[in-house]
Amino acid sequence: MADAFAIELKNIKKSFGAVAANRNINLSLRQGEILALLGENGSGKTTLMNMLSGIYRPDGGEIFVNGERVDIASPEDAKRLGIGMVHQHYRLVEVFSAADNIWLGRNCPKYPFREKLKSVCAEKKGWRRLTAGGKVLVCGAGAAFSERLLRKKRYQEVEKICSAFGFSIDPAKKVYNMAVSEKQTLEIVKVLYYGARIIILDEPTAVLTVQETEKLFEVLRRMKAEGHSIIIITHKLNEVLAISDRVAVLRKGEYVGTVETAEANEQMLTDLMVGHRVDLNIERPVVEKKKPLLEIRNLTVRNDEGVRAIDDVSFYIRGGEILGVAGIAGCGQRELCEAIAGLRKIESGEMVHKGENIVGLMPREIIEKGISMSFIPEDRLGMGLAPSLSITDNMLLKTYKTGSRPFSPFVDRRRGRAEAARIIEELGVVTPSTETPVRRLSGGNVQKVLVGREIQSGPNVIVTAYPVRGLDIHSSYAIYDILNRQKESGVGILFVGEDLDVMLALCDKIMVLCHGRVMGIVHASKTSKEELGLMMTGTLNLVRDDADAGKKTGIARDTNIREDDVR
Amino acid sequence: MVLDILAGFVYSIIVYNIPLLYGTVGEILNEKAGSLNLGVEGTMAVGAIFGYLLGCRTDSLFLGILTAAAAGALCGLLFAFFTVTLQANQNVTGLTVTTLGLGVYYFVAHAVHSRSNWPMMQDCPSIVKGFSEIHIPLLSDIPYIGKAFFSHNLFIYLGIFLAVLVWWYMKHTTAGLRMRAVGENPGAADSCGVNIPRSKYLHITAGCAIMGVGGYYMALHINGEYLASSGWINGYGWIAVALVIFANWNPARAILGTFVFGIFKALEVYAGSIAFAFPALFGWLKAVPPKVFTALPFLITALVLVLSSARRSKKSNQPAAIGVNYYREDR
Amino acid sequence: MKTMKRFHIVRREGVSLRRKCLYYVIAIFSALLLGALLLLTCGVNPLDYYAKVFTIGLSTARFPAKQVENFLNALVPLVLTSLALSVAYKMRFWNVGGEGQFLIGATAAAAIPLGLGSVGGTVPTLLLMAAAAMLASALWGGITAFFKVKFGTNETLLTLMLNYVALYFVSFLGETKGKWNFFLRTDSDRPIFASVFDTVAMPALRIGDFSLSLALPLTVLICVFLWFYLKKTKQGYEIAVIGDSPGTARYAGMKTGWIVVRTMLLSSALVGLAGFFKLMTSGSLSASITDNVGWTGVVVAWLSKLEPLGIVATSVLICVLRFGCSQASVNVSAVDSRFSDILQGVILFAVLAADFLLRFKIAKKEEAC
Repeated sequence: MADAFAIELKNIKKSFGAVAANRNINLSLRQGEILALLGENGSGKTTLMNMLSGIYRPDGGEIFVNGERVDIASPEDAKRLGIGMVHQHYRLVEVFSAADNIWLGRNCPKYPFREKLKSVCAEKKGWRRLTAGGKVLVCGAGAAFSERLLRKKRYQEVEKICSAFGFSIDPAKKVYNMAVSEKQTLEIVKVLYYGARIIILDEPTAVLTVQETEKLFEVLRRMKAEGHSIIIITHKLNEVLAISDRVAVLRKGEYVGTVETAEANEQMLTDLMVGHRVDLNIERPVVEKKKPLLEIRNLTVRNDEGVRAIDDVSFYIRGGEILGVAGIAGCGQRELCEAIAGLRKIESGEMVHKGENIVGLMPREIIEKGISMSFIPEDRLGMGLAPSLSITDNMLLKTYKTGSRPFSPFVDRRRGRAEAARIIEELGVVTPSTETPVRRLSGGNVQKVLVGREIQSGPNVIVTAYPVRGLDIHSSYAIYDILNRQKESGVGILFVGEDLDVMLALCDKIMVLCHGRVMGIVHASKTSKEELGLMMTGTLNLVRDDADAGKKTGIARDTNIREDDVR
Repeated sequence: MVLDILAGFVYSIIVYNIPLLYGTVGEILNEKAGSLNLGVEGTMAVGAIFGYLLGCRTDSLFLGILTAAAAGALCGLLFAFFTVTLQANQNVTGLTVTTLGLGVYYFVAHAVHSRSNWPMMQDCPSIVKGFSEIHIPLLSDIPYIGKAFFSHNLFIYLGIFLAVLVWWYMKHTTAGLRMRAVGENPGAADSCGVNIPRSKYLHITAGCAIMGVGGYYMALHINGEYLASSGWINGYGWIAVALVIFANWNPARAILGTFVFGIFKALEVYAGSIAFAFPALFGWLKAVPPKVFTALPFLITALVLVLSSARRSKKSNQPAAIGVNYYREDR
Repeated sequence: MKTMKRFHIVRREGVSLRRKCLYYVIAIFSALLLGALLLLTCGVNPLDYYAKVFTIGLSTARFPAKQVENFLNALVPLVLTSLALSVAYKMRFWNVGGEGQFLIGATAAAAIPLGLGSVGGTVPTLLLMAAAAMLASALWGGITAFFKVKFGTNETLLTLMLNYVALYFVSFLGETKGKWNFFLRTDSDRPIFASVFDTVAMPALRIGDFSLSLALPLTVLICVFLWFYLKKTKQGYEIAVIGDSPGTARYAGMKTGWIVVRTMLLSSALVGLAGFFKLMTSGSLSASITDNVGWTGVVVAWLSKLEPLGIVATSVLICVLRFGCSQASVNVSAVDSRFSDILQGVILFAVLAADFLLRFKIAKKEEAC
């Protein structure tokens, strides 16, 4: 028993509609190890883990926990089996206090009625047996009842548990008043309190600062030392190498293999993750220098929680260049995109497009100026597409009003159908027809529809975030190609990306954001992954006020430097 | 004389409006578990008719209450089955429960009545006795106050007891905490291992059982007279839905809310005599059209709703996931 | 776990139309079967009873033409209200305020002939009445839309409350005698609503005994118009996008707030028009003039999947049940006229169950051991 795997998955399958999220996955977690589950976005990591935590049920395959075959039908089952998951999007009741969120899933200890009665019956004889038995029942009912009451002392108890696990949480604090890292701590405490021996963390570092991440890793190591088995989902290689004992890799819903971390390096893991050696041979055409199309000056924007997500950011995009934006998740990319598209209130600063300030314009007016924004969120459908509508209707989303028939009250579906057919043809979208709801397409095809539409609208500035998220290499290259053609035709492109290798190859300049501040804008051909990584985590800040020149340094100016100029 | 009128006024408010409390407390249990059940009217009607008929047949108030609760619970089960298990839209299901419930009420009432074996409440001595006023010793002897508050029938004490009990349950027990979590964020509750369907079924059924008893009270209150046209419940179920908002989803406040709603309803009838009794203070009441009093609670509730959403106050107890069905595999 | 739950439910899509129809027909039949059992317990022959219901009592009626007229008069408000509500539901705006909007519309319409008398002949008066009805109830519904957009107020609860405010407003008008209250008859001491028929009547096309009220062709027109509006126009497109994904709509540059208000104005204006039509058949205002169409409309719209044609079909079915049952109860005294409520309820539940089978499928887990 002791040498049995904590978790063993055999031939796990899961599909959503026509899309196979997991195909024949085999995975094992040893007792007391940290296993990193590595894979690109959309490779099925979260889906797989959700099957362990009882959110989804597998379509086929077997799950063994501690060597025993189990059927996890609900989170309740998972909890009973000692499996706890910290979801990427925290599952907390906002209006409850920290203590109540933990108390919610507390298992009330069962009062041992039967055993006590038995022992009493064995001891006592005659009517004494009756009264003693009655006493056991009444006391037991009383104890069981009082166990189920909410008492003030739960706060102390939760605090005690927290400190026992080495955390500090204010148990009376309401969740809506908590910072992100506090919420995460609360989730971890919750899982531990429910007695989980197997702990799954889904992208726990995505929203954390460097220090917070380091602290989290400390916690994980301590938990491991205490005998917990841990699975950590991530796609950040440095973290994988820093924390894990073994690495399991998924690729496009399939299990690729597991390697010992000690024997792995970044190159090897990348190869496993993407399938073959990433030979990023993305072309970077050199385009004539043009005037800045879009200039952002001292932009400050707050996020939904009222925190400054973009803090005094300035940059510009020239026609015919691709400016990359790099940063860890949640560093303000989303807010930046939304601000440019007119979807987010701008606290201060200017956005100058072709010499005209576009702050305060309606989203529609910004679209009409030729600024296109596309953002591929994690679920790929959230922004930019209406999932239940057909491809044709989604084509018309931005142009239905002023496009081909500006004064007619009717929607020009013929044009939509033609555009849909063209994109299906040009980008190779796999779909039964132009009238298929977008929801029924697979992820890659959904993205092609979105990016295709944005380019078809003939913009002069393209803001695109994660356009290749979850796409296979082939489709990704198709998208890079499209962007390059746009660049050549004089369009300015803001490319918010995740993969630094891609950005280094594709972009002309790269701006790095960390907690909403610009850490520097560098020439892609002059920088290195290491430098970008340091900037992303805030370790390196190139931006300095140069008092003498009255300018800031650390901001690369020109972009059309030929590769030979650099050498 | 003046105090007599006042005592009578308070007394009648309580007597007339206690069914609202039952409906409201039941609906709070529904809504706090995340289910907007618009079937209160139908549920109360079903509870009323079956409670009354069976209670009279057996001449037992206790059995009557039990039957009413069971019939109400059955309506709750129906609602829960469709919204929880079959994931049907809650508004539509609730309205359908109301339609079906009223249909059953009329069908059964008509069927029994047309065979002319409609039971009369007067013929059931133990029900009449059970329904008569219970004077709480000592307290009911306090002049005026005793008449207003402490000489009521069983249902009124039971209703207030239930309201306090539900309030206590929601605030002070782990099960109540879980149920509130289900209404706020079912995803969170689910991942904590709370059995969502069970919690929803349980609270919807219990809530509807309480509504059923409220319906039974209404039947007894008008002596079980057969009404062919408007029915016994006469819109009280709908008012209960409004009262839930007015009470800010708090069963203890529902007692107060019932009283406030009751004052307005009673004013519709009593405004004249109060104006007569206190010409100086309340003379102006005479000038107010009676229906204004009836409409006022709804207007106030609407205002409360708008204001609390305008302030986005965390004080509002409106469950965040109300009206939304939970399907675990949806992301 | 020791317990092996082998079944669980998963969403499904793309069920064929034929299958859908089949499921619905089965649902309706099984509901009628259940109703038949109930009828048997009352000692009524279900076949006879159903025959009466589904011929809306024509076989035994003395004036069949009048019968059909009454049926159509009951049908028109239901169809129109359901259609109107479906427009709001397309946008995921849960307007359950049909009752209130209906009442306000009818009241505003009645105010014209009762307050102003005939305004330059029948046609101008009628037009004015329709305009007043639509405007008043549009404003009434607009209140909710405004607060929903501005503060995110829960529209279900707010429209629910406003229903009562409207209801009691009408009963207030009906009970209060006063010089200002032109809604009441002046020749009676008791407060009674005056009839609008003294001033205007709806033009009707006479075909033999049968007179076809103008309301019916108008409703058909509106139905066609709404189909075009929702499917073909830019505004309809906007509604569809907002209903599907409000974030995307904002992103596409739609003024979502205004579109929500505009759509709700249209939706409640049409409910108000239904109120006007109803007033022109009942003649005088009353608190029960709605005949519950505001509630029934919610259910009809939802069950018809918000499709205009489906709404018409469902409305006809429900109207036949209601009208037929009330006709049948004239002859069959053992069954209450509200038996239709049971039938309607059971059918609705059966259809909801069929819906479940169409939206989800019960998946069997692959057995490995």
